Parts: sequence; C-alpha cells; structure tokens
Amino acid sequence: MKQDPSFWTGIRDISILIGGKAGDGVLFTGNVLAKLLKRQGWWAVTYRDFPSNIRGEATQYTVRASLDTVENRGDAVDILLAFDCEAIHKHSLRLNRGGVVLCDGADAAVLPASAGENLASFAFPLRQPARQQFGREIYKNMIALGVLSYLLDLELSNLEAIIRDIYIKRKSEEVIKLNLAAAKFGWEQGQRLIPPEECWPLPRLSDEGRLILSGDEAIALGALAAGCRFFAAYPICPASEIWQWLAPRIKAFGGAVVQVEDELAALNMAIGAAFAGARAMTSTSGPGASLMMEAFSLAGMTETPVVVAHVQRVGPSTGLPTKTQQGDILQWIFGSHGEFPRVVLAPGGVEECFHFTIAAFNLAEKYQGPVIILTDLDMGQNLRTMVMPGSEPWTIDRGRLLSASELEPLKKFRRYEITPDGISPRVIPGTPAGVHVVESVEHDESGLRSEDPGVRTRMMEKRMRKIKAIEADLIPPLIFGDQEAELAILSLGSTRGPILEAMKRCHQEDRKVKFFQVRTLWPFPSQEVNHFLKNVRRLLVVENNYTGQLMTLLQSQVRIDSGLEMEGLRKYSPDNFTPQEVYKALTGMA
Amino acid sequence: MPGRDLFTLLRPTWCPGCGLYGILEALKRAASSLGLDPASVVLVTGIGCHGRFPNYFRSYGFHGLHGRVMPIASGIKMVNPDLTVIGLSGDGDAYSIGLNHLLHAARRNIGILAVVVNNRVFALTQGQASPTSPQGFVSISTPFGTVEPPLDGLQLALSAGATFLARGFSGEVGHLTHLIARGLKHRGFGLIDILSPCVTHNKINTYDWYREHSEILDLTNNLQPDKNQAWHWLTQPDKFFLGVLFEEERESFEELVLPDLNQPIAHLDLKPEPEKIRQLMEIFR
Repeated sequence: MKQDPSFWTGIRDISILIGGKAGDGVLFTGNVLAKLLKRQGWWAVTYRDFPSNIRGEATQYTVRASLDTVENRGDAVDILLAFDCEAIHKHSLRLNRGGVVLCDGADAAVLPASAGENLASFAFPLRQPARQQFGREIYKNMIALGVLSYLLDLELSNLEAIIRDIYIKRKSEEVIKLNLAAAKFGWEQGQRLIPPEECWPLPRLSDEGRLILSGDEAIALGALAAGCRFFAAYPICPASEIWQWLAPRIKAFGGAVVQVEDELAALNMAIGAAFAGARAMTSTSGPGASLMMEAFSLAGMTETPVVVAHVQRVGPSTGLPTKTQQGDILQWIFGSHGEFPRVVLAPGGVEECFHFTIAAFNLAEKYQGPVIILTDLDMGQNLRTMVMPGSEPWTIDRGRLLSASELEPLKKFRRYEITPDGISPRVIPGTPAGVHVVESVEHDESGLRSEDPGVRTRMMEKRMRKIKAIEADLIPPLIFGDQEAELAILSLGSTRGPILEAMKRCHQEDRKVKFFQVRTLWPFPSQEVNHFLKNVRRLLVVENNYTGQLMTLLQSQVRIDSGLEMEGLRKYSPDNFTPQEVYKALTGMA
Repeated sequence: MPGRDLFTLLRPTWCPGCGLYGILEALKRAASSLGLDPASVVLVTGIGCHGRFPNYFRSYGFHGLHGRVMPIASGIKMVNPDLTVIGLSGDGDAYSIGLNHLLHAARRNIGILAVVVNNRVFALTQGQASPTSPQGFVSISTPFGTVEPPLDGLQLALSAGATFLARGFSGEVGHLTHLIARGLKHRGFGLIDILSPCVTHNKINTYDWYREHSEILDLTNNLQPDKNQAWHWLTQPDKFFLGVLFEEERESFEELVLPDLNQPIAHLDLKPEPEKIRQLMEIFR
C-alpha cells in the first residue's frame, strides 16, 4: 500500500516517548522503532535523555516521525510506552490530548485518574510473558515493538528485516526467531486489546534514497569517504561512537583505529600520522577537548593537516556527560596558546556531518593546519533521517603535498618556504630528496630553529596568510526563510531543527522570519552576516549555552548597526530547544 | 667512521662537555653502521636540551611538544612501518610529563626506539630537580634537597612490557653506539636510558661519578630474555649496569594492528570510493 503524502489527511506527525530505566533496552527499542518508521517512508528523528549510568536510573527516549522533513523531537508526546511505574508517573500528563499510554498490566494501577478523560491507555502483558514464554525479561522490548506496530500499522516484514540486520552476526538464528515471535505476540496482544478506532494507522510510503543515522555515524562515514585512514582516540561521551563505528570497518580500507592512553596522545598521534602522510583524525568532548588544546597549537605551528571532531556536552568540568550543550563554541577559535590559523565547521544536520567531514580533510590539507568539526550530543548521538549522499561524487584534494617525482624537478625544497599565499610544499618522510625538520619552535623556511626577529615576523605572517587562500573553499552559510524579513535568527548546529519548525509556524501566521545558519564558524562569515543583516531590525541569536558565545563572536566580528535590536535566546538546561521555545521568543519579539 | 657525515646537519651549541655530544656521535655512528638512509629515518624529540637534535642530526625530524614524543613517534610508525622511528627524550620529558605515554608505548610494543638522555635534572629551564634526581638533590627548585627517591624508567618499562631495555653512558661512545645499533635493529619497542652528565646544573652525577658507579656488562649479541636477571641489574644500589639488560622477541603493535604491512597507510592512493561507501550506507537504510 503506497500513498501520496500530499493526499493524506490523517496523522502527519507523531511523537512516541519510551520511558524506563537504564538497562531496560529503551535505546534499543527506540532505535528499532525509528528505523521502522523510516522504512515506512516517514522522516524519523530521535531524542535521548539518558543518565550517565549503565543500569537503574530513569531514562527516556523520544522517537518522532513526520511526513515532512523533521530534525527535532517536537513539543509534545502523542504516545507513551512506559516500561515502569515511574515512567507513567513522570510522562503521562505530558501527553497531547487524545494521546495513548502503553504499559505493562502490572503497572496500570498508577495511571493517574485525570488521565482517563484525555488519554487512552492500554495495559499489556509485557514482562511476565517475556520471562515465561520467551525466557528473558528483555523480550518485553520486542513485545512492545509488536504492540506499537499494530497500533501504528507498521509493516512487520520491516521489523523482521531490521532485527535480522542487527542480530545477523551476533546472535543465533534461534535468538532471532525468538525475537520475532515476541514481536508477533505483541502484535496479537494489540489486536486483542486495542479497538480499531483507537489505532493510529500511518500510511506506508517509499523511503527510497534515505538513510537514518546519528551525527557521529555520519562523521565516521564521511571520514572514510574522505580517505581518513588513521584515527586515534580516547573513550568519552558522546564522541566515542565515531571511532567505534570506524574500528571494525576501516581495515577494509587499509587503515587503523588506535585507542590511546589519553587525549594528549590522541591528537599528538594523529598529528604524527598526518605528518607521515596519512589523512588522520581524532574525536573528543568536554575535558578531552581541553587536553587537546596543547597539541592544537602544535598542529598550527608545524602546519600539519589534522581533523578533530568535537561533540559538545554539558560542562563545565565533568558537567553532564550524557546531555547536550553548545558551551564550547569559542574554545577552538580562541583556545590554546599563541596565534595560528584554524578552521571550525559546524554541521547543522547529519547530511552536513557527512559532507563537512570530507570538506574538513580537504581544507586541512589545502591550508596545512587543523580543522575542527564542532557538533553537540543532540547531533552526535540522536538519529536523523537524511537523503543518501553520493549523487555528486566528492573529491579528495591533498593540496601542495608533493610526491617524490613532483619533488625532483624542484631546485630546492624548503618545507616552510615563504610563498605569496603562505602555503608551502610538503613531502612525507621517506621521500629521498625531501629530508627536513618540522619544528614546534619558531623556525626558518627550511624548518630549522630560529630566534631571528625578522624570521619570526615573516613566518608568523606566512602562517596567518594561509587562511585567506582557502576562503573560497569555506562552506558558505545557509539562509532560510523570507529574504525581506525584518525579524531574523542567527544560530548554528543542532538548533536548526527547532528553529526551522518554529519558522514554519510563523510562516503559517504570515509572520516573516529569516534564519542565518552559521556553517563555517571560523573564519567567521562576517561579510555574509553583514549582508544578511541589511534589512533586519530584530535579531535573535539562538544558542545552547549561558553566556552567549555565538553572540560574543558575532559582536567581535561584525560591525553591528546601532539600530539593530539584538537578543539572545539561550538555554543551558541540559536539553536542546523545542520549536515552541523558539517560536515564543520570535513572536514575543515581533 | 666514513658514513657518519651523512647524518651531520648543523654544529651543535650545547655547553662544552655536555653528554649530548657523545650521544649525537653515537647515534650518527650507529645509523651509519647499519647503512640507514637519512630519508628513511625519523627522529622525534621533545623539549629540553636534547630537543635540538633534529637540527644537528640529518634525517627527517619532528621537534614536538614537551613529553609527547611517544605519541608523535607512534603516529608516524603506525602509518609507515618502513621508517626507522627514534623517539629522543630527556628525563623530564620521558619520565615526568610524558611518563604515561612512555609506559603505554612500551605496553604496546610499538616499533620505536626510545632514547632517553638522562641527566637527572631539568637543564634547559635552569636546573630544577627531575624525577631521576638523586634523593636530597639541592637545586633551584629544591633548596632543601629533594625528598622523593628517584624513579628508574627502565624498571617501569620492564614491568610495562618493553621488549628491549638497555643502559648506556654518554662517556662511553663506542659502547653506546653498539647499544643504539642493537636497539635500532630490535623489532618492537626499545628503551635506552643514557646516563649523561649535565656539566652546568648537576655537579653530583659527573663523568667521574658515573665511572665510579657503573659497570659495563660483558654481553654478547644474544637475546637477554631473563626478566629476573634484568630486575637484578636494575635494582643494585649505587650501581648502574651498562649494556643490553633485557631483550625478547614479540610481535610489535603495528604488526598486530595494521591490515597490511606491505601497504603502509602513508602510501595509500586516496581516491573517493563511492561504491564502497554506498555499500556501507546500507547499514543506515
């Protein structure tokens, strides 16, 4: 049954919240559900709210699906799948009118009395049949997925395919069959207990050419596409998924992932590998990024192309390791000692995580220095649906890296030769005629240490000049909305989802709004912002932090007209914005 | 020795009498005795008086940060195992700020020769006590003498899993040349701790002091895979045994981790491979 979404007058958008305890399999259930919705042809997105804990603490995962592109969890919940009493208590009153609560029959007594008027609730046998019929309580997840599949009319054959994909290498056929039997049992329970008029049948559409993945996975995939063949990293939430995804797959591309002793080693090792000729990368977050600040300037001084992905989490200090924030926007722009050129890219969606990672490696080798991909936990760990990339083939540009045969005709090779654009020829160790020294101390053109004031001045200017040479290659900002609007938003990264949705609401009310999505965070797109602000009277700078780091940057890089009313929408609770919060700020301003 | 000049770059400017002169000479002689090509050698150094080595020893060189010699050297070795990678450090660099890295490099048995110039003092920063300074060492930073006992990098590396351990003395250039050459031929991770007088800041551990407190072991080129014997040599009070103290054959980190030793990562011909990437995308369907 394939339907054209434009004719569909039923449900266009649905949010399902799964609540339970860490260790319950909430993440597994949510990920399978998101994939199931995506295969049904819907745009699916997830939002995790997990504690930094392996077992026992309350955890919740929202899965949202829409017929339109969607990149955020939305404002409210339609369906609650509660794995325990606490989840019913905590979330059932947050449901939209007409929402549905699904829970275990054993927990049904705690359903709030007031819920009855606005909500439908269905209690199922979950844990008991999981234990008794299928042998382990964890099968409750498959039973619940079966119930949900019935409620939403999701295709069971898709569920089977997804379970097979997940388990094919790790579990026996017997276990797979048991999982599928549990799902079928759930479906039958749904059929038995949910009257047809209470069902929410979602149309089945084509998902051709779409993928569902996290930002971390998209960065890992982008790294492989870019030719990254060496990755050194230390475990940290929420960035480990990048190299953990690569670890089993990079070998087939001739590369290696190394788990190192700390983040000092991670970036230094990537720098060593890049110096020796590899496309090398590391990833980190929070305290790990602070440790990398030391080697960051080493990459700048030695002019070594290296890529760092920083998936921001709540700070300061250990902060909240499993919660999202944009509190490190300025860290890579102004961090580390001394002055050196750097590039910071800020993807606003999973497709950009993929493409920007490829761009990061090309930029790094072209200007011979560090490139940072700055995302956050919401982008890094949650799933989003994207159009499959690859229709336009990407390129690998290694800049002025010379092979032995390219080096030969040169009369003299000087690693730090002063050139008009500041970018010097580079060769890798092992090249016969290219023997040279790479120096963290100030050095002359050949790489030898020098304290001569003239040399220092010229080398400083040479390094800083390089950034100009790649200006044309930097990723331009994206501008959304009505070009003529006097009300505008400037933001970056994962806030794009709630912002675009809030703008849609404004559009429905004929309010004109436009949005500048900063994509190259550094060098800051001052000219483009200037142009964007021409007719703007009010500007809302949206960012997930306390001090307004993006606004600080904007104020330092752009001459702001005194007539412009600028306001910051900031959130430093450990959550991304909801569309409603952005909408309220916009309409409160207008 | 004829070939040694192949490895000569600039004239060093260390204090007259510094142990580093002997070490530079031994390194040049060892490299030429093995017939190495300067283009296939990478010398990584940290921060300290030793750090200038790449300006004096002609090969590919990377003068990095204080304490981070091992990770830089490891990155180089991992992407091009054909290169001879030497990580030269001082005692402050290797045993203080970079100790964590040293032990993990040893644990991995990565094919790097770590050479530590151990002058038992922070010399370039004007003479503070280092982790290997003798107990009671009076210095600009320890006016009442150090209270901590010195640590021994070789003991730590032995317990961490290093497969080649040697101690040399910069006053015995011939012996040291032999040790370095053996270390360079070793398959996995090697550490050579070189006792090296600092004539300016360490007036206790002088050339004469070391001669009185050391003994050259009469050892052949055979493996010395006896950990107990190594431990015995390393723990004699007031006595440094010079020679190869421990050596065993074990697969190196790069041999175990890299998919193809004949196809170094550094030499991969990088092209977009849309078909292979598209196949991987199926995981996200």
